[in-house]
Amino acid sequence: MPAKDYAPIDQNWLEEAGSLWTTPWVDKPSERVIVDPIILSHAASLFRKNAGYFYQNPDEAIRMVCHACELYDVTPVGHYLYADYWGQDYGAEIKVQTNSPPGITNRPIKTAEDVDNFEVLETEDLVKGPTLTTHYKALDTCKEEFPHMFAPITQLGGTMEVATNWAAIEDVFMWMITEPEVVDKLCKKAGDHMVNACKATSDRYGANVMITGSVIASGDLMDTEQIKRFSFQPVSRAVRKVLNAGAGPGVYYHLCGNHTDDYQMWKNAPMSPFTIVQIGYDGQNIFPTTKLVEAFGDRCTCFGTVDTKLVDRGTPAQVYEQAKEQVIAGKDSPRGFILGTACECPTNAPPVNVRALVKAAKDHGKYEKF
Amino acid sequence: MDIKITEELDNTLKDNGFKQEEILDLIESAESSGTKLKAREGDIAIAKGGSDNLTVYAVYSPDELLDVYAHKMNILGLTGGELSEIDYDDASDWACAKCGEIALERNVDMTYMGVTRPGPGLVCPKCDEFYVSDGVAKTLKTAEAILEEKRA
Ligand SMILES: [Zn+2]
Repeated sequence: MPAKDYAPIDQNWLEEAGSLWTTPWVDKPSERVIVDPIILSHAASLFRKNAGYFYQNPDEAIRMVCHACELYDVTPVGHYLYADYWGQDYGAEIKVQTNSPPGITNRPIKTAEDVDNFEVLETEDLVKGPTLTTHYKALDTCKEEFPHMFAPITQLGGTMEVATNWAAIEDVFMWMITEPEVVDKLCKKAGDHMVNACKATSDRYGANVMITGSVIASGDLMDTEQIKRFSFQPVSRAVRKVLNAGAGPGVYYHLCGNHTDDYQMWKNAPMSPFTIVQIGYDGQNIFPTTKLVEAFGDRCTCFGTVDTKLVDRGTPAQVYEQAKEQVIAGKDSPRGFILGTACECPTNAPPVNVRALVKAAKDHGKYEKF
Repeated sequence: MDIKITEELDNTLKDNGFKQEEILDLIESAESSGTKLKAREGDIAIAKGGSDNLTVYAVYSPDELLDVYAHKMNILGLTGGELSEIDYDDASDWACAKCGEIALERNVDMTYMGVTRPGPGLVCPKCDEFYVSDGVAKTLKTAEAILEEKRA
């Protein structure tokens, strides 16, 4: 629905939420821990729309997200992104789905020779491409209609995510065993692409917050040496290049999946003054905030999480209990803390569960020290 | 050293509030002390100077000033406190002119307006000297502006 059909955002709420949100990076006293459940297509479900509608209408999507942020009293940021970015720009076909984000059906790289011939697009070509055209439509709407909820985000994923949006995941995993140097080349190109994409955002908006890290490169699918070689090292090189190109300053390491064996290496990943680290799982369990703060608390902002499966299928009491434990463990982390979900808020999660997450932060995330 | 400054660069200096003399002094003292970075290829060097409130860098060849940039965030030291082994190639295109070691790209703690956070620095592993690249200085400028707005 058009902008005029929404009730106005409460400006007092917005100001308060804005100050809670920036607390983690600027050490400015605020009342409590902020919550960011990474609301994307879940916002659409609040407006009785589906994920397909959300992703086909980026301008409406951002309106729904911003209003959902107000409804839940969470981080006021107009998020818009999905996992399968950067295939279409290079000739992949994409399928719009009713109940989930768009998925890539046909990828441009079929053979190892294709990897050699594959050319990374320059910044000016990416700007004209389908991914950024859609992404910027959402961001521009946010900047125009919800200026205080605008953040110039670039959705990158890690090098393995970009690589598997260019070539089929089964091929990439086969090459990892049979011809690992092909995957090296692919990940290097993915890294170069990431730098060009970040430059596009920073040229357009004057700053850039890159979402990177790894989803596929986790302990469930790859061993530690493979994660180091195909994810940690090329991602680190790419982030360093982005910062050296002046296209920072936001760095958000989203380490989805199980990172028991490799999380320590990310302590030395390149960081900027606005760095967040979020880790999904420790084996089968949610990654404990105590462990997160121990490794990263003296370096950057820690993003503690509640299991998305619990938010989707658990009871409000279960969500509240896990959120309470995580927020108590993280709220005094020296360089700031955010409470959230392990990955994006599930599309059809019960709203009472999202509210339970926020309630735990309000009840147990107060800053007595201020 | 006789260093030429083009009119264009001189205008940039003026726009950013730098005086020619202070930049030339900075280069002079880098040359006499040897505290500077030199490119691993070619004959370009980076000198640094300034104060806790503003670190200024001059990039120059033997006969020409090429660039000047600065940041307000004050570098305190290595993030994590010490130079530990890391798992990726962190060698930069620069070397320390004093000891000859290749400068490493490492996270360094920087402080500004009471906030301390990491940023990507160029570090001499022997001399405990820290620099930032021109690109990172641009990234830091954005970071400084956000801190100025949010801390105000
Ligand atoms: Zn040295």
